[in-house]
Amino acid sequence: MSIRATDFSECGPVYGLMAEFDSAQELVTAAHKTHEEGYRKIDAYSPFPIEGLAEAIGFHKNRVPLVVLIGGLIGGLSAYALQYWVAVITYPVNIGGRPYHSWPSFIIVTFELTILFGGISSAIGMIALNGLPLPYHPVFNVPEFTKATENKFFLVVESSDPQYDSARTRSFLNGLSPRMIAEVPS
Amino acid sequence: MTTAAIKMTKSDLMAPPVAQSIQTRSLFIGLVGALASVAGVFIAPESFFSAYLSGYMFWLGLSLGCMAILMLHHLVGGAWSIVIRRILESGMMTLPMMFFLFIPILLHLPQLYFWARPEVLADPKTDPKIIEIAHSYLNFHGILERYILYFVIWIGMAYFLNRWSTEQDSIAGQSTLRFRALSGLGLVIYSLSISFAVIDWVMSLQARWISTIYGLIFIAGEALSALCFCVVIETILSKRKPMSDYLTDTEVHDHGKLILAFVMVWTYFNFSQWLIIWAGNLPDEIPWFVRRMNGGWGEVGMFLAVFQFAVPFALLLSRQLKRKARTLVRLASWIFLMRMIDIYWHVEPALHPTFHVSWLHFTILAGMGGLWMAYFFHNLRSRPLLPINAPQTLRLLGSGHE
Repeated sequence: MSIRATDFSECGPVYGLMAEFDSAQELVTAAHKTHEEGYRKIDAYSPFPIEGLAEAIGFHKNRVPLVVLIGGLIGGLSAYALQYWVAVITYPVNIGGRPYHSWPSFIIVTFELTILFGGISSAIGMIALNGLPLPYHPVFNVPEFTKATENKFFLVVESSDPQYDSARTRSFLNGLSPRMIAEVPS
Repeated sequence: MTTAAIKMTKSDLMAPPVAQSIQTRSLFIGLVGALASVAGVFIAPESFFSAYLSGYMFWLGLSLGCMAILMLHHLVGGAWSIVIRRILESGMMTLPMMFFLFIPILLHLPQLYFWARPEVLADPKTDPKIIEIAHSYLNFHGILERYILYFVIWIGMAYFLNRWSTEQDSIAGQSTLRFRALSGLGLVIYSLSISFAVIDWVMSLQARWISTIYGLIFIAGEALSALCFCVVIETILSKRKPMSDYLTDTEVHDHGKLILAFVMVWTYFNFSQWLIIWAGNLPDEIPWFVRRMNGGWGEVGMFLAVFQFAVPFALLLSRQLKRKARTLVRLASWIFLMRMIDIYWHVEPALHPTFHVSWLHFTILAGMGGLWMAYFFHNLRSRPLLPINAPQTLRLLGSGHE
């Protein structure tokens, strides 16, 4: 049995208020206005990536590049160290009179491992910083939200926002002329 | 993108007046530089021709790099390339001038190339292989015929891409098939012809030395020059209408990413050449590097490794730097200068075993560059800054969130 999200109002903790929109453009405009209004704990959901949406909800920077940089450096240094250890310390072989520490021939493996570690850390870093895996998320308590993977666009103002006020936030969201507004039970 | 942008017409999209004033100043610098260089023929003839060849290869490379990136645009391009398409087309259309600027080299081959010197060919101690090559391939007639062939190919391709682009401005809704067909074929033809051209003009400076990746090093470098040039020009233009209306951080960011990619490609090709020759350590292959690692040339090479690769690479990893035209332009101008030194490092050591720089290097780069720029701005001012009927333009000027 499906229960209308609005049925939950004033009973139990609330995660936030959800507004539904018909188009990507409406969602970006609404997100802009909500952010301008001073709301910071907001999130937007859409069936496909929308350019400018992340900026509209005030999401400018993420730490994935830093994770990739550290991963890449670890990869490069470990590759060079491994080759140095093998070719100079444990098993030195004289190849055509070239020095044991032949840095030009170490570069290729160093480069490859930098890319490999950088690539793996970008995937792991992205998943970890996204907070995944996440078995439960309150937005799915709203039945209409299943359309977020089809053709509808959603904006959620979370109740943890200091400016959040059930009645005032609802009337503000109403001013953005959404298709519907629903309270999201926690 | 504002809705006002959709209504832009041809006259709204013409280059701002600043293009005219830069053109005039460039022409002035070009003429002064050219006069000083002509004087140099008499004052310092021993420095003139190698300096002329470095300068020539740099500015020719910029024209050809513009053509190659333009072809890439027709094949795969989107918003990133439509905003610089007219810059690329104007840069490419300087090729007719580069055709004539080769003539001094053609008429003075013995000053540059050992295989053109009668005394070398008459000397019984000269390697018979060199004499054989000089008879069959590397000689005045060979160079003349191939020089005409290369320029017929390049100017031909540039002419059609440019003319069709002008036609597109007046006829809406045309198919872009002919652009794509010529560009696909053209990139293959360009890669082959530039490889042959740099073998003739630059690689053959060094006796008996061959490298199969040599042409690719020039292709990557030329694309890098062209992209850096576009960033500099777009930064100047984007401070004024009409470009300020449509150039956004997203496109600048794409140009930054491409510069990073070509910095890495350039390094990759150069390093491959170095690694294979170093590992092989064969007497036929190493002289090129032995020459370029001694007598002060090694420092120039290190300087390039650090300042055309390491430092730009590290800086270009930053998203903030790549996204803003005003920060990216500084790095792009720097790499543009490094490109000149790179060509100089390829050409000059072949003729001077120890570090050698003369005032002629500067006057020739400035003279040729001034004329190149004046020609470029003349081309740029003749048409709207955006090809208004190109499909990507319509998308660019339309809403970004359809």
